[in-house]
Amino acid sequence: MMHPSDGPPESETETDGLFAVGRATPLGTYLKDLWRRRDYLLRVPVEDLRVQHAHTLLGNLWLLLNPVLQVAVYLLVFGVLIELDRGVENYLAFLTIGVFVFHQTQRTVSAGARSVVANVGLIRALRFPRAALPMGSAIGQLLSFTPVLVVMLTVTVAHGHTPGLRWLTLPGLLLALTSFGLGAGLAAARANHTYRDLENLLPFLFRLLFYLSGVLYSVDHFVDNEALRSLFALNPLYCLITTWRWALLGTDASGLVWVGTIGWPVTALVGGFAAFRSREATYGSGA
Amino acid sequence: MTARTRPLAIRCTDVEVQYTIRSHRPLLRDLLRGNPPYTTTVHAVRGVTLDVAVGESVGVVGHNGSGKTTLLQAMTGVLPLASGELLVRSLPTFLGVKAALRPRMTGRTNIRIGLLAQGLTRDEAEAQLPAVADFTDLGPAVDLPMETYSSGMRARLHFAIATALTPEILLIDEALAVGDRTFREKSAQRLDEHRSTAGTVMLVSHNLGEIRRSCERTVWLQEGRIVADGPTDEVLRAYEA
Repeated sequence: MMHPSDGPPESETETDGLFAVGRATPLGTYLKDLWRRRDYLLRVPVEDLRVQHAHTLLGNLWLLLNPVLQVAVYLLVFGVLIELDRGVENYLAFLTIGVFVFHQTQRTVSAGARSVVANVGLIRALRFPRAALPMGSAIGQLLSFTPVLVVMLTVTVAHGHTPGLRWLTLPGLLLALTSFGLGAGLAAARANHTYRDLENLLPFLFRLLFYLSGVLYSVDHFVDNEALRSLFALNPLYCLITTWRWALLGTDASGLVWVGTIGWPVTALVGGFAAFRSREATYGSGA
Repeated sequence: MTARTRPLAIRCTDVEVQYTIRSHRPLLRDLLRGNPPYTTTVHAVRGVTLDVAVGESVGVVGHNGSGKTTLLQAMTGVLPLASGELLVRSLPTFLGVKAALRPRMTGRTNIRIGLLAQGLTRDEAEAQLPAVADFTDLGPAVDLPMETYSSGMRARLHFAIATALTPEILLIDEALAVGDRTFREKSAQRLDEHRSTAGTVMLVSHNLGEIRRSCERTVWLQEGRIVADGPTDEVLRAYEA
């Protein structure tokens, strides 16, 4: 460095092949890294499920019992005690679909929000693309949704809605639900890492959404104004619940609701992933 | 200035690392009262310039709070740099005592997950598993949930997982100190093997014997700056004086 004539050649060879740490990985490499960890992504949720009910008597039977008991309670409260089912045929099936779709979305988002904060140890210890954590938790939620789905379909069929052509859209609707939950979860995980406050706020946000998504009542029945009704399409959860009911109960779903059902998951996934990745380097610092 | 012919594994140029700590009071109260410093900035590393060659084993000594752990963590890219440049040949693996894996799962499951997280396929992980489990010396305890382990057992499990894939650059933060003597010898042996295959090691420890045993070169940090860098014997003589 003192003698420019003989300095550079040597330093060029010794720094050959070095790169700066903390520099963002190119998107392509990042996605390839994620793909290489597909076995990890599937394994962790399975192991998590395995230990989840480790200290209970009934074990993983709870995965099935939980939704069954939930339906029983709703049947008792809304079907027998309060007659809220005005304007809705087959209220139990209507309610079951609304509640389960809503809760599944909420669970996927909340699990994603916690996934980074809860795994700081793993992040500090091992090098891997951090998006694997929210993705793993979303897959875990999808797995535990299986028994819930079974209960939901049983209730639907028991109410006389036999499987029809519309059932073919179910895999797509499940994908939309999970994608939205994952996308929102990625964004929430990033925000939650900086401000733990979000974890306390999320339940209230979801409770508010619960009443605005037509889970308990039919929006079409209560809201007459066309413009006001289209405003509901701004709520991703309302869109998802409405299209799930369309598929299972044969009810209506407007074009706007379909745009929301496809548009919201795509927006959430792209935006959430970009937001998550922009802070990727800091997740181990545990502020 | 030392002339080196070996290629470099790590090059730190004037590296500064700061991190902010939240005050224990809630943020909002400070904001409302107009107290701007509701966070404290810690200048943990204040301008470190350091070259580590491939295959070198460097000890890092210094008192508590001298920036040793922060420097190592910056090398893995977990902490953003405030200024300076940090180049590496490959992303280092960091091995610390506090890092917890999944407490409710068994040691064996933790090994499996750890291997998969580092990018092995299922078949590769299953093939590696017995050797890694064996190295931990946990015996039948490897099939007990990790929450039942002592800190030494945890450290062994963790060391075994982190070194299973023989990362090119390994950063060790006090992780060997908790193991018993047999395990320490075993892990020192693994580090020797690692170095003989051109692996690079940086070892933070308060156990100077361990540094003498494993490192030919030692860096002494004080308040985030290097005060000495040279052959282990010389630096430790000055450090202990």
